[in-house]
Amino acid sequence: MFSKKSYLALSATALLLLSACGNGDEIDDTGIGNGNGDAADDGDFEGASDDPTELTVWTWDPNFNVVALEMAEERYQEDNPDFSLNIVENSQEDVVQRLNTSLSSGVATGLPNIVFIEDYRAPSFLNSYEGSFYALGDYFETDDFADYKLAAGTHEDNVYNVPFDTGVTGLYVRTDYLEDAGYSLEDLEDITWEEYIEIGEDVYEQTGISWITNDHGDLGLMRVMMQSSGVWWTEDEDGVTPYIVGNESLRLAFENYKQMVDAGIMNVHNEWDQFIQTFNNGDVVTVPTGNWINASIMQAEDQSGNWGIAPIPRQSLDGSVNASNLGGSSIYVLDIDEKELAAEFLAATFGSDVDFYQDLLVEIGAMGAYEPATEGEAYEFEAEFYGGQQIYQDLAEWTQEIPEVEFGQRTYEIQDILAVALQDYLGGAELDDVLENAQSQAESAM
Amino acid sequence: MKQNLAMKKFFMYFFLIITSIMFFFPFYFLVVSITNASVDITRGRLLPGTHFMENFRTMLETTILTRSVWNSTIISISQTFLSIFISSLAGYGFEVHKSRGKEVIYNIILLSMMIPFAALMVPLFRLFGTISGLAPGLGIDTLFGVILPYVSTAFLVFFFRQNTKMFPKELLEAGRMDGLSELGLFLKIYIPTMKTTYAAAGIVTFMGAWNNYLWPLVILQSPRNYTVPLVISAMGSGYTIDYGSVMIAIFFTTIPTAIIFFVLQKHFVAGMVGSIK
Repeated sequence: MFSKKSYLALSATALLLLSACGNGDEIDDTGIGNGNGDAADDGDFEGASDDPTELTVWTWDPNFNVVALEMAEERYQEDNPDFSLNIVENSQEDVVQRLNTSLSSGVATGLPNIVFIEDYRAPSFLNSYEGSFYALGDYFETDDFADYKLAAGTHEDNVYNVPFDTGVTGLYVRTDYLEDAGYSLEDLEDITWEEYIEIGEDVYEQTGISWITNDHGDLGLMRVMMQSSGVWWTEDEDGVTPYIVGNESLRLAFENYKQMVDAGIMNVHNEWDQFIQTFNNGDVVTVPTGNWINASIMQAEDQSGNWGIAPIPRQSLDGSVNASNLGGSSIYVLDIDEKELAAEFLAATFGSDVDFYQDLLVEIGAMGAYEPATEGEAYEFEAEFYGGQQIYQDLAEWTQEIPEVEFGQRTYEIQDILAVALQDYLGGAELDDVLENAQSQAESAM
Repeated sequence: MKQNLAMKKFFMYFFLIITSIMFFFPFYFLVVSITNASVDITRGRLLPGTHFMENFRTMLETTILTRSVWNSTIISISQTFLSIFISSLAGYGFEVHKSRGKEVIYNIILLSMMIPFAALMVPLFRLFGTISGLAPGLGIDTLFGVILPYVSTAFLVFFFRQNTKMFPKELLEAGRMDGLSELGLFLKIYIPTMKTTYAAAGIVTFMGAWNNYLWPLVILQSPRNYTVPLVISAMGSGYTIDYGSVMIAIFFTTIPTAIIFFVLQKHFVAGMVGSIK
């Protein structure tokens, strides 16, 4: 009797499996070697087509990168009605994971034509998978883009990226809290981190509200400080050798960080959502970070008019400037079929279209690193949320001043080592020992 | 003495209540959050709000959840049936039949549990790349490709072998006397007797398959083949995240596993106890 049941279960399984297989995508017959294997799917479940003018893109962020791509697609279609994009959306970590798996296994089936890569990660991809990406330098005017953006995608003198969003930083400030303590936004302009801490201590004393919030495990703030001085934690020549001991900028960043913690002006959060919660709740006065935070800050509508943006503080070192960068990504083309079309599409949109960049700013607040676009009308927008400040104008101006840095191939790997070092340092260990330790750890992990 | 007992009870309940709250709170927060705006969720609002419909609409507009639920269902159910059938056959065989060298093979199978999946991923992906070249319907970017590496797992073989130890072998003798074939013994005697073990294995496998992330991530490449965890992960990937719609997606996709668990709960507990004995 029960056997009937089990036979039933078995046949049900078989049926399901069959339907699962039937559901499988029709991968190009050529299989391996043809990266365009499954380029046909626009997410609306219509059948796969072999239309050669459809390109697959891997990216993340539905409200930012995806929208930007859709806008670019629409513009490109005006002249090329047959053109279309198949945008495949995953989280950034997932895009990295898939790209790594595909490229390191040498299986080209299912690789996208176009992929977004964060600038910090780009050098390691270009270096580890030489020959997998298609050089784009001849397709657009590279001089029109900020140098620091191009640097991330340049490998052996070839430009492989079309720069996209700038991670230009600003010091986001609650002007109302500041005024309560007798300061104004101007007091925060052109200052060093030491001055920033000094004002912070005073404001904290008067208002009782944390001056800054940070996650001890995320060294974004250190990266911001270092880039403002034009330095990174790997040597420029090879991008692999750790540059921790003897790195004055990094040392100062550690010292400044500890000063903030010791002064009690730093609120400590865990994870991203707590970070957003902190400023949305009004629990912090300043947020020194990338301009992409705009949308998250502006979602607390009740705080409209109470925010302002000052230039990021600089390090008290020669050559350090009041401009830096945090995050941001660029667009890459894989060296597979249809690479020319992909390159032409990117050159015509992200690489040269001033109006497109204006639209990007208006629609999604995306700031590109394309210099000619910054003269457009949209950049003159006076943001009511920021008390009428022309924030895009300011941010675009700072973008031009961001020092160029060789990100190297180990940004996140060394960050993990330094995060542990920071904990030791905050716990009372000697800074010299901590940094030497980190240096030897990073060297042995090479 | 009496007072002592009361104190004991007090502490016991106190501890239980605290623990219950700790386990219950995430669910409460999830349910409340589906009715709140994104900004209220990040602010940690604990009361129900009025944004349910709005969140629901955004979720439907921006994601392909329904399709992914279907994909996950197919994958989880096929994987569950296939893997518990194949693994139980193996576990049964290892315990019931005598064969030279079976312990060696069994140990090798157990050892394979020690290798983390991440280490197997690249070779496995290469393998499926080759399969794609030969039979595109079974390789990369197919649901079959997700299921195949999991149709037999060392853990389930181990689980079934352990449980088979308390299976009364006399039943098999009786069955043989009555003229059942070896496969018949397995299908008609073993499976019905081991119902609770199957239920426990079923729940574990189903949940594992439903929540599986890494392998589907690399093998499935077109959005229409995505499973639920892939879609939800992509939703939370932006510079600004709409937590409201993420919460709704999580809420709805938790329901199937919850149903499976509650339906099979009784057997699950019995099955787990069985494996410890």
